[in-house]
Amino acid sequence: MKQNKVRITVAAVLGVLAAVLIVLGALNMPQRTSEKGAQIISDLRNRSLLIATGDGVVESYVAIAKKEATAAAKAAGGGMSAIREAVAKAEEETRAKYSNSTTDYSTLDTTALTEAAAAYAEALAAYDEVALTAEEDYIAAHIAEAKAAAEAEREAKIAAGEEVGEEEEVKVDMSGFVATAEMTALLAEADAQYAAVGEALRTIYPVLDDSALATLKDTIGDIVYQRGDSFTVQYDRYIAAGSGAAVSDKAGAFMIRYADDMIYVGLALIIAGLVVLFYDVLVAKLGIPRVIIGLFFILLCFMALLYDLSLPTLLSNTIVRMGMNSIMVLAMVPGIQCGISLNLGLPIGLVCGLVGGLMTIELGLPGWSGFLFAIGVGAALAAVCGFVYAQLLNRLKGEEMSVTTYVGFSIVSLMCIAWLVLPFKSLKLRWPLGTGLRNTIGLDSTNFAHILDDLFAFEILGFEVPTGLLLFMALACFLVWLFSRSKTGIAMQAVGNNPRFAEATGISVDRMRIIGTMLSTVLGAIGILVYSQSYGFMQLYTAPRQMGFIAASAILIGGASTSRCKISHVIIGTFLFQGVLTLGMPVANVLVPGSTISETLRILISNGIILYALTKSGGESRA
Amino acid sequence: MRKENLGEVLRKNAVTIMFVLLCIGGMAVSGQTPAYVVYELFGRLSRNAFLVLALIIPIVAGMGINFAVTIGAMAAQIAALWVVEWGVSGLGGFCLAALLTIPLASFFGFLIGKLLNKMKGQEMIGGMILGYFANGLYQLLFLFIFGNLIPLKTPGLVIKGSTGVANTIDLSTERGFKYALDGLWRIPFVQALLIVCGVVAVIVIALMATKKLSAKKGGITLAVFAALCLLVQIPAVAQIFSMVQVPMVTFMVIAALCLFNMGIMKTRLGQQFRAVGQNRTVANAAGIDVDRVRVIAIMISTVLAGWGQLIFVQNMGSFQTYGAHEQVGLYAGAAILVGGASIKRATNRQALLGCILFHLLFIVAPSAGKNLFGDAAIGEYFRVFVSYGVIAMALVMHAWSGVSRKKRPESALKA
Repeated sequence: MKQNKVRITVAAVLGVLAAVLIVLGALNMPQRTSEKGAQIISDLRNRSLLIATGDGVVESYVAIAKKEATAAAKAAGGGMSAIREAVAKAEEETRAKYSNSTTDYSTLDTTALTEAAAAYAEALAAYDEVALTAEEDYIAAHIAEAKAAAEAEREAKIAAGEEVGEEEEVKVDMSGFVATAEMTALLAEADAQYAAVGEALRTIYPVLDDSALATLKDTIGDIVYQRGDSFTVQYDRYIAAGSGAAVSDKAGAFMIRYADDMIYVGLALIIAGLVVLFYDVLVAKLGIPRVIIGLFFILLCFMALLYDLSLPTLLSNTIVRMGMNSIMVLAMVPGIQCGISLNLGLPIGLVCGLVGGLMTIELGLPGWSGFLFAIGVGAALAAVCGFVYAQLLNRLKGEEMSVTTYVGFSIVSLMCIAWLVLPFKSLKLRWPLGTGLRNTIGLDSTNFAHILDDLFAFEILGFEVPTGLLLFMALACFLVWLFSRSKTGIAMQAVGNNPRFAEATGISVDRMRIIGTMLSTVLGAIGILVYSQSYGFMQLYTAPRQMGFIAASAILIGGASTSRCKISHVIIGTFLFQGVLTLGMPVANVLVPGSTISETLRILISNGIILYALTKSGGESRA
Repeated sequence: MRKENLGEVLRKNAVTIMFVLLCIGGMAVSGQTPAYVVYELFGRLSRNAFLVLALIIPIVAGMGINFAVTIGAMAAQIAALWVVEWGVSGLGGFCLAALLTIPLASFFGFLIGKLLNKMKGQEMIGGMILGYFANGLYQLLFLFIFGNLIPLKTPGLVIKGSTGVANTIDLSTERGFKYALDGLWRIPFVQALLIVCGVVAVIVIALMATKKLSAKKGGITLAVFAALCLLVQIPAVAQIFSMVQVPMVTFMVIAALCLFNMGIMKTRLGQQFRAVGQNRTVANAAGIDVDRVRVIAIMISTVLAGWGQLIFVQNMGSFQTYGAHEQVGLYAGAAILVGGASIKRATNRQALLGCILFHLLFIVAPSAGKNLFGDAAIGEYFRVFVSYGVIAMALVMHAWSGVSRKKRPESALKA
C-alpha cells in the first residue's frame, strides 16, 4: 500500500512537471512567428552582421596602420628590421584597439541596418525560391540522360573487370545549367539590397570601402539567409556566431527557441509517469525485457526529436528495416511451433537463398522473373536441406539449441569454401582478379535491387512507404498464420506443446518436426532474398553467421518464448529491435561522434534477450 | 576390465582418428619442412595448452565445454591493459597481471556460474551467448570508459582522434611484458628432453623404491624415456627439433596445471565436481549444494582461462584489444574435443593431445589449401570449418548417445 502511495506521488509530480512544460511550450511556440520572435531574430542578425563586419573592419584598420607605420619608419631612416618591428607593433596595437571585445555594440544605432538586412533577406529568399524550382526543372529534364550515362559506365566497368560498388544515386551534372531571366532579375534586385546593407554598415564603420564590402558579400549573405531557414535554425546560427548578448530578454528567447523541446520533454514525462503508475501491469503483461526495450525505443524517439533529427525519416527507415528482416524472423515461427525451439541453424536456409540469388545474376534474369526464380531455387534447395537437417534434429530431441548453433556455424564456414570454388562466371559475382566470389555483391536495376521496396512505393509527409515490401511481409505472415490454423499446423503445434500427448493421439511427432523445420528453412531462404533486395547487396562468406541470432532475438523481443510464439510477436519484435537499431545510430552519433556504440548496442540487446529467454526456458529445478 | 573390441575403440575415438589422418594428409601436401612444423607446434602448444586445460573442471562438473572462458580472457586483457598503463614491465608485470586477473575473473566467474545455474542443460549455448554479450560490455568498457572517463596516460594506448583504447596493445615495448615467462629459461629441445627425462627418472626410481609403483611399470617408463633420449641423438631426428627452443618455465606452469587438475579431483571438492557431473539429482540428495559446486567450477575455470590468455599474449607480444578474446572459447573447446574428450568426460591427456592435433592442423591447413586448390584462403576457411564442425559433431554424438540411452529402458520395458 505504501509503495503504491509513493508511486502515485512520483507519477503526480511527473505529471505536474509535464503539464508545466507543455503549457510553457505551447505558450511560447506561437511566439516564433509573432513580433517578439521577429524582433529576437533581427536583433541577433544585426549583432552577427556587426561582428562579422567588425572583423573585416579590423583588417582594414590594420592594413591602414601598417601602411602608415612603414611610411613613418622609412621616413625616420630605419633599416629593414626597424620597419618590420614598427609594422608588427602597429598591427598589434591596432588589433588591440579595435578587437571585438572592446566594441560596445549596444550604443550603435542599427535601425537602418535592420531594415536593409530584412529587405536583403527577403530578396535572397525570393531569388532562392525561383532558383530552386529552376534547378529542379533542369534536373527533371536531364535525369533520364544522366541515368543512362551512369548505367553505360557501370556496364563498361563490369565488362572491363573493374571494381563496381553499390549503385550510387545518379546526380545530374549541373555545369550546363544556365540561370533563367527571372533569376537574373531577382539576383540583381538582391544585389541592390546588398548595396543598401553596405550603406547601412558604412554609417557604423566608416572605414569600410567597396572592396571590403565585396569580400564580405558571401559572409553577409550566409548570415542573412540560408536555404531552409526557420526560427530555430537561424537562432542556432546566430548564437553559434557569438551574438547571444544582443537579445534583451534572454530567458524569453531561450524559451521560444526550445518551446518544441519543452513539449517533447513534457510528453516524455507523461509517459514516464504512466509507466511508474502502471509498472506492475506492464511487466506482468509484457515481461521486463519488452518493457525495457519498448521504453528505450520511446526514449530514442524523443532524443531524436530533441536533437532535431528527422524523426519521420528515421521511422520510415525503421519500417523498411522491419520489412526486410521480417521474413527471417517469421522463419522462427514454424521452428518454435514444431518444438525445435529457436532455429539458430537458420544460416542453412540463408545460404540456400543466397545460392538462388547468385544463380539469378549468373543467368542474367531481370526484375521480377529473376526475383521469383531466386525465391524458387532458394526455396527448393532449402526444402531439401531442411529435410536433411530435420532428420538430424529428430535424433537430438531436447538438445536442439546448441547443436543447431554449431551446425549452422559449420555450414556457414563450409559455404565460405564453396563461395571460393563454385563455378560462377559472371563478373558481377567474381573478383576480377583472384579467385572466388565477391564479399558483397551489389545488386542493381538489371536484377532485383529494391524490387519489393519500390513496388507501389509512395511518400506521405516525408514518410516513405515501401508498399510492396510491407505487402509481401503481410502476405507471408498471413500464409504462416493460415498454415498454423490448418489441420497440419494444429498438429504441428500439438507436437511442439506436448510431444507425448501428440504421439498418444496418433500424430507422427517426427513428421511434424520435419515439416516445421523445412518450413523454417524455406522461409529463411526467402527471408535473405527479401533482405538483400532491400539492402541492395548480397553478403556472402561470414555475413550469414550472426543472422540467426538477430532473427531469434527479434522474435524474443516481440514476446515469444523458446516454446511459444505468435505472428504478432514477429511484427512487434522486428519493429522494436530494428527501431532501436535505426534510431540508436544517429542519436549515438550526436552523443559520441564517430563511435560504434550502436553496434555495441546491437550486441548487447540481441544476446541479452537470448540469454533472458534461455534462463526462462532452462527452468529446471536446482538439482 | 572388459576388453573392448576394435570397432568400438574406433567408434569412440572417431574424431581423434579422423584428425590424425587429416593432419598426416595435411602435412604431406603442405610441403612444409618437419622442422618448421615442429617449431610452430611448440610455439602454439606453449601458448594454447593452458587455455585448453582450463576447460577440464567444468566438463567434469557436468557443465559441458565452458565457452564463457572468453570472459576469463577479457578479465586478463583488462589486467594487461592496466599493467601496461602503470608501466610495470617484465616478469613483475606478468605476475601483477596474473594477480589482478584473480579477483576480476573470480567475480566474473561467479556471475557466469549464477547465470548458468538458471539454464541447466543449456550451459554451452548459454555460455557462448554470454560470451557474445560480455563482448558488448567489454566494448563499452574499452571504447567509452577506458581512455575517456578513466584517462590513460601511456602513449600508444589511446589513439588521438578516435574514441577508446587503441586496436592493438603492444607488449614488446619497455612497458610491456613480452616473453616475461617464455624468456626466463629457454633451451634447445634436446637439452630440455634430457632434463625432463632426468626428472622423470628420479621420480620413477623414488616411487619404485617406496613400492608405490610396480617394478614392471617403472622399468617400462624408464626404458621409454631412455629410448627417447637416444632417438633424438640420431642426426635426422635431431634435425627436426633443431629450430625448437623450449620455454621451460611456461611448460612447467602447464605441467603444474595438469597436476592441479589431477590433484583437485582427489580432494573433497573434486569428488563433488564428479558427483554433480554424473547426476545432479543424486548429488543433491547426497547433500551436496549443487549450485554452489557448479559456481566454484566455473570460477576456477574462468581464472585459469585468464591466466591462459596472459600466457598467450606474453608469447605473442601484442594483442588485438577487441578481437583477441573472441575465438578463445571456440578454439580451446574444439581442441579438447579433438583429443577425444566428450562434453561429459575430459582428462589432461586428451586436452594435450587435442591441443597438439588441432594446432597441427592449424599450421598445415593454409599451405595445404594453397597447394591443393591454389588458394590459401580455402585452408583458412577449412580450419574454421573444422573448429565449428568438430564441436557440432561432438555435440551430435553426445546428444545421440544420450537419446539412445534414454530410449533403451523404454524398449526394454516393451519387450
